[in-house]
Amino acid sequence: MENKQPGYTRREILKLSAAAGLGVAVGASGLGTVGMIVDTFSAKPTSSNKQEKTVIPFYGKHQAGIVTPQQTYLYLASFDITTNDRRELIHLLKTWTKLSERFTQGRNLDATQNDWLPPKDTGEALGLGASRLTITFGFGSSLFNKDGKDRFGLSHRKPLHLKPIPTMPRDAIDPSLSDGDIIVQVCADDQLVAFHAVRNLIKAAVGTATIKWLNAGFLNGKRGETPRNLFGFKDGTANLSINDVKKQNQVIWCGQGEPDWMKGGTYLAYRNIRMFLEIWDLSSLKEQEDTFGRRKLSGAPYGKGHEHDPVDVTKLPKDSHVALAKSTGQEIFRRGYNYSDGIDPKTGNIKAGLQFISFQKNPQASFVPMLALLSKNDALNEYTKHIGSGLYAIPRGIKKGEYIGQALFS
Amino acid sequence: MLNLKKLCCLLAIMALLIVTGCNGKNDVNDHAESKTTKHTDQISEIKSNTEQMLSTVKELKAAVGDQNVDQVKQLGKTLNDQWLAFENDVRDAFPLLYTKVEKYEQPIFAQASVDAPDLSVVKTQIAGLTDALNELKSAKLTKQNTTKLLDQAVKDYKDYVKTQADKLIEATTAFTDAVKAGNIDLAKQKYVDARVYYERIEPIAESFGDLDPKIDARINDVDDPSQWSGFHRLEKALWVDHSLKGMNPVADQLFEDVKALNEKIANLELKPQQIVAGSMELLNEAAISKITGEEEHYSHIDLVDLAANVEGSEAVYHAIIPALEDKNKSLAQKLDEQFLLMKQTLQKYKKNDQYVNYTTLNKDEIRELSNQLATLSKLMSQTAEIF
Repeated sequence: MENKQPGYTRREILKLSAAAGLGVAVGASGLGTVGMIVDTFSAKPTSSNKQEKTVIPFYGKHQAGIVTPQQTYLYLASFDITTNDRRELIHLLKTWTKLSERFTQGRNLDATQNDWLPPKDTGEALGLGASRLTITFGFGSSLFNKDGKDRFGLSHRKPLHLKPIPTMPRDAIDPSLSDGDIIVQVCADDQLVAFHAVRNLIKAAVGTATIKWLNAGFLNGKRGETPRNLFGFKDGTANLSINDVKKQNQVIWCGQGEPDWMKGGTYLAYRNIRMFLEIWDLSSLKEQEDTFGRRKLSGAPYGKGHEHDPVDVTKLPKDSHVALAKSTGQEIFRRGYNYSDGIDPKTGNIKAGLQFISFQKNPQASFVPMLALLSKNDALNEYTKHIGSGLYAIPRGIKKGEYIGQALFS
Repeated sequence: MLNLKKLCCLLAIMALLIVTGCNGKNDVNDHAESKTTKHTDQISEIKSNTEQMLSTVKELKAAVGDQNVDQVKQLGKTLNDQWLAFENDVRDAFPLLYTKVEKYEQPIFAQASVDAPDLSVVKTQIAGLTDALNELKSAKLTKQNTTKLLDQAVKDYKDYVKTQADKLIEATTAFTDAVKAGNIDLAKQKYVDARVYYERIEPIAESFGDLDPKIDARINDVDDPSQWSGFHRLEKALWVDHSLKGMNPVADQLFEDVKALNEKIANLELKPQQIVAGSMELLNEAAISKITGEEEHYSHIDLVDLAANVEGSEAVYHAIIPALEDKNKSLAQKLDEQFLLMKQTLQKYKKNDQYVNYTTLNKDEIRELSNQLATLSKLMSQTAEIF
């Protein structure tokens, strides 16, 4: 497999042409035939305007899925590498890169030309297009060093701020829902498109990496409006504008001091926050608004009339969520998703909450102190419990022809 | 699949491409020459390694004659080391003979690895191994065609199935006799033995429709529990009820059903596609009901079944090696490594030549087995490239 070009091998093309009765054409106008066949068998989107808008480029200076306007659905997948062979790890990253390139363009994997083999593509997203699919990859600190072992010769290239998030007061972290060697964030406007992508990445990883945990998320908000969390409050009002490049460089993108593969990259901080919906729903509106420090309907901070009015911390309850977050003077870029995960059979309560995701260039200086302060004093803690946690280095974006994280390995 | 007409068309195009593609004719020749030299070296190496093995086999034979268990164990291991040192070259050059040597060498090594080896098994294998090694010593390079390789694969696998079915009858007889004698402890032991032979060839039994449900149904599989028969009915009696009361008819029926299976297997017709599909079914079974501890719900000997499923699948792999070598060498190599890894992992759970109870495994240990099975299945599913 390693040496195969993406797409069709010569033998596959030959088989195809024979099967399609086009064989004779190969000698004279081989290329034309090849083109025809590829078009017939791979679900390449036609270039209508509608479809082009749903394609978010996989390649670029930064990885997609960070300052991309937030899609409706999320799958967050954490993998542990099962091999100690650096070449196999690189091979997997190459394979994932190829698959991601294809899926983000709304294309499926080629049909298999031997009916006795399992189909390459799992098939459930055929014809659904790209749906603004993004696939974002990141590396956990255990990839660089696991239990004192440097499995892939990477420990000297560990980025500056990739240290585990310290244990916080009130933490109820489940290790089986935390960390992992590699994180993959898959987002799309169609849940099946997102699922298809993550499923095929998991399938391709068998033998090299094993899925540690997989969480789904959902979210909605009218275009240009801040989406709401499951407590009914607008979440992410203070986020920087996705058009403000200068601000992004200050808050999100890594630069000086970081290894080359992280310049233009960032860090993903993750918390799986269970929210006690049944308790929250029976608390008064006043209690709810005091907890956040904002009005529920408008999202306006206390003492102001509109969502985006500047926050006056003196007007907010001291232990409110917004007052505490503001008091750190730090900024992060949030991109979380709601989730629901069946019920707790003991209580009958819904297991739901927030897949908290934030991006920042220096999590130890911004995210960690903010989390520490909130974990200690936040009024919201009465209604929430942190059950999963992770910090990951998100390498810079790649050019076509590179594989994800290539600069880390070369 | 391509039909014959299309295949001819394809061959014609390929020939065309080969002709038009040979611009660097000299390069091609140089390459071919160096390849031939390499082959000649490799083959003389194979021959000298084979000689070495033959002399170890001779010593082994003497040790068996002397009933010298320690020496048999030691020589069995030496023999395996010698084989491992050059088996890849043999698989590469003489795939058919490779499977033949493996067929006799593996059981010898298996006996050498247990605390109390069965010398009679070693003795019968020595004869076969000597023949195979002599053949290997004088083998010449020839190119086999795919159809012939596949026919041979089917034949080899059928031999395997027949051997297992015969052993199944033997082991089932011992089991049902113990049940009928009311000897619970002995019956428990014999149950484990019989399960191995059934689980190795289960997909074959499944292909005969009603026999598998009669022999291997679990209580959830039957509509009417009073009609429940077969191994698992007796398993429940032994491990849960601790009583064999009323089990005589069940034991008789099981014996009859296993006998019927054996008779059907004698006239079995198989296609190469079926045997590869069967090997996948075995791994699927292992990954669905054994790894979860559902299959042997009362006795918890799921690891016995799981290992037997893997062995049954490996038998298919061995049978198709020659064809696979021809189509995708690196896949054969990867499968070889993965089967070895799987067996090494399973070996960790053997105490006194017996697999430990499934319930003693922790979550991480089960997950490790599950991951390795998944990798094995993924590789095995690609063997259909030979068709």
